[in-house]
Amino acid sequence: MSADANEESPGLIARIARDNSPLVIVLVAAFVVIFVIGAATAPNFLTVFNFKTIIRDAALVGIMAIGLTFVTLSGNFFLLSMKETAALSIIAFATCMSAGYGFEISFLVTMLIGIGAGALQGVLIGLGGNPIVVTLGAAGLFFGIGSWWSDNLVVSFRRPHGAEWLGTGSFLGLPNITVAFILIAITAELVLRRTNFGRQVYLVGANRAAGKATGHENLGLAIKVCIIASVCSAFVAIAFSAQVSSAHVNYFAASFGSSGDMTIMVIATVMVGGNSIMGGYGSTLRSSLGAVFISTVDNMMVLHGFNSGPRVLAVGLMIVFSIIVFALLRRGTRAVE
Amino acid sequence: MQPLLQLSDINRSYGAINALVGAQFELRRGEVMGLVGENGAGKSTMVKIIGGFDSGFTGDYQMNGEKLKFHNPTHAEKAGIAIAQQELSLIKTMSVAENIFLAGEGVPIFATRRTLANKAKPFMEEVGLEYIDPLRAVNRLSVGEQHLVEVARLLAHDPQVLILDEPTAALGETDSIRILDMVNRLRDRGKSIIYVSHRMDEIFKICDRITVLRDGESQDPREAKDLNVESLVELMLGRELGNMFPKRVAQSRRDPLMQVRDLWPDGVLEPANFDIYPGEILGLAGQLGAGTAEILAAMAGAANTRGGKLIFDGREFLPKRPKEAIAAGIGYCSEDRKHDGLFLGRPIFENLTAPALKAVSTGGVIAPLREQTLAAETAVNFTVDPDRLPQEAGVLSGGNQQKVALGKWLSIKPKVILVNEPTRGVDVGARAEIYLKLRELADQGASIVVASTDLYEITNLPDRIISFYRGIQIGEIELADITSERILQQITDPFNETGRHGEMVK
Repeated sequence: MSADANEESPGLIARIARDNSPLVIVLVAAFVVIFVIGAATAPNFLTVFNFKTIIRDAALVGIMAIGLTFVTLSGNFFLLSMKETAALSIIAFATCMSAGYGFEISFLVTMLIGIGAGALQGVLIGLGGNPIVVTLGAAGLFFGIGSWWSDNLVVSFRRPHGAEWLGTGSFLGLPNITVAFILIAITAELVLRRTNFGRQVYLVGANRAAGKATGHENLGLAIKVCIIASVCSAFVAIAFSAQVSSAHVNYFAASFGSSGDMTIMVIATVMVGGNSIMGGYGSTLRSSLGAVFISTVDNMMVLHGFNSGPRVLAVGLMIVFSIIVFALLRRGTRAVE
Repeated sequence: MQPLLQLSDINRSYGAINALVGAQFELRRGEVMGLVGENGAGKSTMVKIIGGFDSGFTGDYQMNGEKLKFHNPTHAEKAGIAIAQQELSLIKTMSVAENIFLAGEGVPIFATRRTLANKAKPFMEEVGLEYIDPLRAVNRLSVGEQHLVEVARLLAHDPQVLILDEPTAALGETDSIRILDMVNRLRDRGKSIIYVSHRMDEIFKICDRITVLRDGESQDPREAKDLNVESLVELMLGRELGNMFPKRVAQSRRDPLMQVRDLWPDGVLEPANFDIYPGEILGLAGQLGAGTAEILAAMAGAANTRGGKLIFDGREFLPKRPKEAIAAGIGYCSEDRKHDGLFLGRPIFENLTAPALKAVSTGGVIAPLREQTLAAETAVNFTVDPDRLPQEAGVLSGGNQQKVALGKWLSIKPKVILVNEPTRGVDVGARAEIYLKLRELADQGASIVVASTDLYEITNLPDRIISFYRGIQIGEIELADITSERILQQITDPFNETGRHGEMVK
């Protein structure tokens, strides 16, 4: 077989398709099934407005899931502090806004908090701390600071404010937060596939010892991926605060809103996307699709009038189902070791 | 006299590989039978068959003149055959006495710790552990003592045959002596023992007779006193040294490429000092635990090291991390490629370019064409099919995996390549290719340092050998003087202890 240039370096799309193939098929098939059921049973399901709703709902969880995917792919498990990082960030942002610092300063301060939160956890994990213990501890720390800082009260700031464009603005008919989700998804996928950093994430995630032996150490990597995840949390907090012009430490908890505990939703998204919990396999694209998928199912259930109990149950079922499918697929495509 | 165990015409094949071909084995009552052979000669298959772990063989298995067929290890255990495996099956947080009676045989259902301790004492005394409190937790004993506990546990079933599978492979000197003493004591009490070992000195210290396996075929058992190290090795090798190995030429020595000075890795008894010359393959010979693996790892920044330095490339330094060694042009393959040599779940091309991401990228962005070109070059160079580059490394055969693990270092244009056990788990065909590749790399100017416990390999591959024995650097053998007997003498018995100890023990 002649090895022409095309074969030697397949295009990006071909590589994505090859890496994901069995899983993408399953996910697409699942989408089709859900859409058929949705179209057949829910009258308003197949409308442009409803699709926009689905993607908008997917955006916040999706952005955080993209950030967390870096951590998971790099073999550093999960950050159990996603929700609390967002809680601290939203308090910081709203406090700055209500103090009249303006969007830019408030944004910057919040992002710095996100970076600090990520760096702290990254250093501890990179030095060998157990990710579960470290991030549980960090979760308590961040929530405690946020709660103390805000006296456990709602912090609100008056409209009009400089953040409204992010919270409620739109671009070409799409909400800006949806646009941000799409841009972040594309950027993240490019970073993972095309940069040294992205490659290191995969390599160290696939085999940490071999990563070290080839000069890629987990310490630096853990710091970077934790910062990415925490910054995504902080960004989502800003976007959400901009939308509702207020903040409270419990905005991302299960008791608030309808979609359940944010950390659990984010982890569910990463897993429904079919990323390996052990690291090394998966992509942010999968997480993005996972977010849209969960959002679609959730949307359909809302249209059918289910309340939050069955909807959380559905998310749980999706996690279990995805783990089974993922395991079966991996078994089918990989040699037994 | 009728032998206790008599196996005749044993055949066992795994797929296309014939592990045992018409092999014979016998064991008399009250003797210690040594079972020796190279890696892959069929020792472990024989042990598995005797111990009932492998029932898929053909041939005749007799015990006390009675024909037997075991379907599982429990079956064999009931018949009185006990195996002490290399991997201990103890529960380390429990006490010695509890471990000895783990199976619950011969003790009342409700037993106090004291009762257990009293019942355990005779067995502990039998293996030479009478000085240990039976209630002490196993994890507070030395590894050698833990091996003795394992044997005591087996003795509690009162076996007729005791198989010890390389019991000293992971032990230091003191613990090894404990094991040997125990074997002698058990023999004196009439137990029949099969002793599998790589260590020549031990074989001669404790075995009455020796069975040699070679390529799945057995030699008739010999009296140990009729053999010496040299004749035993001849029996073990027993074959023409064919052209599996590329031709060697004595290297001209001018300036050393790298000087290793006072390198003292953890777990090694004394610091090591040696020079590496450009274009040579240097062999570090030694048995497991001799320190060669640690020395290579230390040179690559992959092991904790008490001190020492490399004089190399106009610098004096000691890499603290693999990253620093790679930056200096040192590539290192450990003996366990699945652990730290390969990214099994990632594509082969990613494996091949992993150490040199900077070389295939611009400003942190990977250039796919450059990466694929580099990977394809290495693949062609190492006779790995370039069409397979996008496949996961995990689907490759052992030989091809080793080629990838080794070949990835080409990407950094290495000056020194350190390889521990270059052909472990590699089939014969791929072995020759790997040897040839190492030679070609050396011819291109890189220096290769190979550590190997495989006598055949270490005799025939390197241009020069430095030998190690239990963490001590013994000597240097130039190409003209390399013989397996000489190496073996230096790595198993450098201080001529065989005769002396033999007299002491027997």
